[in-house]
Amino acid sequence: MDLKQLTDIDAISGNEGALRKAIMEAAKPLCDELYIDRSGNVIATKHGTDDRLPHVVFSAHMDEIGFLISGHTDDGLLRIMPVGGIDPRVAVSKWVRVGKDNIPGVIGAMAIHLQSPEDRQRVLGFDKLFIDIGAKDQKEAERLCPVGTYAAFDTPYTPFGDGFVVSKALDDRVGCFNLLRILEGKYAARVTCAFVTQEEVGLRGARGAGYSLQPDIAVVLEGTAANDVGDVPKRARVCEAGQGVCVSFMDGASMADRGLYKTMLSLATSEGIPHQVKRAVTGGNDAGAYQRAGMGARTVVLSVPCRYIHSGASVAKVSDIDAQFALSQAFLNNL
Amino acid sequence: MLRDTLKTLLEAYGGVGSEHGVADVIRGLLEGHVDTMKTDVMGNLIVEKFGTDDNGKRIMIAAHMDHIGLIVTHIEDNGFLRVTNVGGIGVDMVRGRHVVFENGMNGVCWVEPKETGTPTLNNLFIDIGAATAEEAAAQVSLGDVAVYAPNVFNLGKHRVASPAMDDRCACALLVELLQYAEEQKNTIVGVFTTQEELGLRGATVAAYAVNPDIGLALDVTAWGDTPETKLPAVKLGEGPAVKIMDRSMVATPAVRDALFSAAELAGVKVQREVLAFGGTDGGAIQRTRAGVPTGTLSIPCRYVHSACETIDMRDMEGALKLLLQFVDHVDI
Amino acid sequence: MLIEQFLREVTAIPGLTGSEQEVARYIADAFAPYADEVRIDSVQSVIARIRGDGPKVMFAAHLDEIGLMVSAIEEDGALRLGNVGGVDPRILPGMVVTVLGRQKLKGVIGAKAIHLLSPEDRQKNYKREDLYVDLGLPYDAVAENVHVGDLVQLEQRFVELKNKRFATKTADDRACVAIMYRAMQLLKGMRPTADLYFVATCQEEIGCYGAVTATYGVKPDFAVALDVCHAQTPDAPRSRTQELTSAALAMGPYLHPVVRKKMADIAERINVTVQTDLTRGSTSTDADEIAVSSGGVPTALLELPLKYMHTTVETFDLRTLEETARLLAQFAAEADASWEDELWT
Repeated sequence: MDLKQLTDIDAISGNEGALRKAIMEAAKPLCDELYIDRSGNVIATKHGTDDRLPHVVFSAHMDEIGFLISGHTDDGLLRIMPVGGIDPRVAVSKWVRVGKDNIPGVIGAMAIHLQSPEDRQRVLGFDKLFIDIGAKDQKEAERLCPVGTYAAFDTPYTPFGDGFVVSKALDDRVGCFNLLRILEGKYAARVTCAFVTQEEVGLRGARGAGYSLQPDIAVVLEGTAANDVGDVPKRARVCEAGQGVCVSFMDGASMADRGLYKTMLSLATSEGIPHQVKRAVTGGNDAGAYQRAGMGARTVVLSVPCRYIHSGASVAKVSDIDAQFALSQAFLNNL
Repeated sequence: MLRDTLKTLLEAYGGVGSEHGVADVIRGLLEGHVDTMKTDVMGNLIVEKFGTDDNGKRIMIAAHMDHIGLIVTHIEDNGFLRVTNVGGIGVDMVRGRHVVFENGMNGVCWVEPKETGTPTLNNLFIDIGAATAEEAAAQVSLGDVAVYAPNVFNLGKHRVASPAMDDRCACALLVELLQYAEEQKNTIVGVFTTQEELGLRGATVAAYAVNPDIGLALDVTAWGDTPETKLPAVKLGEGPAVKIMDRSMVATPAVRDALFSAAELAGVKVQREVLAFGGTDGGAIQRTRAGVPTGTLSIPCRYVHSACETIDMRDMEGALKLLLQFVDHVDI
Repeated sequence: MLIEQFLREVTAIPGLTGSEQEVARYIADAFAPYADEVRIDSVQSVIARIRGDGPKVMFAAHLDEIGLMVSAIEEDGALRLGNVGGVDPRILPGMVVTVLGRQKLKGVIGAKAIHLLSPEDRQKNYKREDLYVDLGLPYDAVAENVHVGDLVQLEQRFVELKNKRFATKTADDRACVAIMYRAMQLLKGMRPTADLYFVATCQEEIGCYGAVTATYGVKPDFAVALDVCHAQTPDAPRSRTQELTSAALAMGPYLHPVVRKKMADIAERINVTVQTDLTRGSTSTDADEIAVSSGGVPTALLELPLKYMHTTVETFDLRTLEETARLLAQFAAEADASWEDELWT
């Protein structure tokens, strides 16, 4: 399954069913054990040949940010609430698709002509943003998109520039994509790839996976915020797209196991894999859940730098995605 | 001696996430005094000292080894380090401070001028005497943690001030407890935890693995006996404090009461502590698995998270006596 | 060509104000089968004529669109943006755009990351100065292909929503060009006597310049300008918006009451619902300039309600559009020299 196919599927947190099904099908021929656990995670395991080696879990989250329909206006617009951390300032004038039938819709707002100077300054909160599907009245809107319907950004996967892609949901379909690539290999150690749910709403799927798998080592494959364009001072860039896979020493949810962190850096150097260190401790991801589930696990995070990660159109460089995969594989081959 | 153990531990490096140096020192101090010793995936040092009673309880007693600090996030072209906090540390605490890294490298913290507003950690830098990024990178890596340089000194007859008193004074107590406890009825599972300052992270997994019958955290608490500071109603020198509650837990009443009984048996005066902020490893132990009856015994400490955290040794001695009775008598 | 197909195609063609050649060419070709003559004037307005012996009547809808222009290239290859017309900067962050450099280049509009903003700035919308286009290219490659002044085309899609409503970029004002197109088709089966001019004007968004030059070129006796007005959206003042589901006829001092009345009467007779859009002076449309050009032209303004104006998701109702075209065609067919006598009564 390629990255385009993976990003084309909508999987807002708590509604990962369609992606889960697709990943189950793609993983089936690649692994020895495959099941869906009680948190809705897809767990794919390859038996190793050497049981003295540690059990490594590679993990990526299936879910993406999006919206839930929370109500309807008299004139047939849909009220929305964000699922996951969406900056309301990136929502206006964006295409979405709503519900199972992919009903096309737009997020509109009062025209600039009608805004007062204060209105232009004010950030429209999600209580002032609506999805318009063209419904003529409240009744029709309710019938087509009842409260609780999910809506996703509709930003098609598009390659551009010097090896970049823009799409919705690169966070964390890049990780899912590389998990499937990892499953294609053969390894001495027992390797489990966990495609987990509900990261964006509080690292919830990974808690279940970490608890039941109790891995020795958990390597989380993520997309992380790159802030490297537009005349940004070096120290504020976090990481840079195109400079390779990003290894984290710490973020808001976990500190990397110091040994694993150093191992990843030295492996990347010796194998000639482009890499960088994440230079901020903001954000948080499933490593926090793995590290503290049950008896815990040694964790480390390998991220693909993603620009505009909080929006419906994130950007990543293909070479960074490849570097994430290369380092994952090098790690497994050098345990 | 408690004072010597304390000084030894205060001088060990143990920035959050790199606590193994402290663990090594503790391992040496406990050699021959405990029955088992192991380190888990989070770096927690877990030791057992078996009780005499086959029906005795397993009491997990936790003290954290980690020390708040500053983590390197960027190296400037001219060799200065940009950092952010690991644990609760603010700009006003560190300006002009001498800090050290795990490899012994020294640094001085300073804050760049700012035209408007109050400076934040974004304006802080560490000067390590390097003139270029290459020179700096030869000695320090992104992700390394700087802590206040050790500086232990006496303050008056009974008091000791130092960085890292939070929570090495509790580590010292736990070490001494494990050294001095003899033929106690219950099994002591001493856990020297990691990453407490980032949200009780080490204790969370240790508590799950230890699966104790009773939990107790040892930690410092704030003070209410300096100018214009009233709360918590805890004073230095008035004995250790039995925690009633803080943001991480309401102490299990049975454990709290057992601490009061142990104090009475030991003839030690204690205070009651209600803290509107903060938390201890007790919160993590209390909520593991199906829940564990848990309390916290606190050492009153002034200027917490500064480079001059100050405690009273009489409170430490009282706490040790109390703990010796507790591990022998508690039965919940 | 079906009206829907015309709309789909005409909204997709770049035609930023001042650079309208491509869209003008397309419209001229589309109009040709229904007109006796079509020309593109010197400033890129399209003028299609259906010859007649009666009075000269001009219909005008503008073909230009708002957009962005490259104003600077940063050292890391990021492009800073200038405005062509009133683009609402709120719509820009996270949008996929095309930069019309030596080659067409896809890019994404990025903004200063939220964690770099002060708490006060987080309460404010991004300003155009905070935004940039990320082409995913190093500086050298950018500099080779892109120059300051190159146009930046906003994201283009044409999507059918429920109830024959459509969302697209540049419905302002190509939807009204489509009304003229449809009216010309309808006129094929009618017998107009007037000399009819269907003009797709250029450069409306920066001051209705195309309408001025076209008016001097045509010298019409009457005119009807066609433009979009605001359809109801939440929060918008009801007094300044119209229902999406029927056309609006503007009323106010800049507009001629008799021409307006003719349109209203015809609408009533052929059962086309029209709303009244009251203006107290300027209508900010071509009507304002046509009315005072070439010695003065009695002018009416017919409007198509549009949601989310000046965004890339401008939304209109196709049935409203078709009804408006029916009204326009009937008006064109009935236009008569006798109207002249009623003008100032």
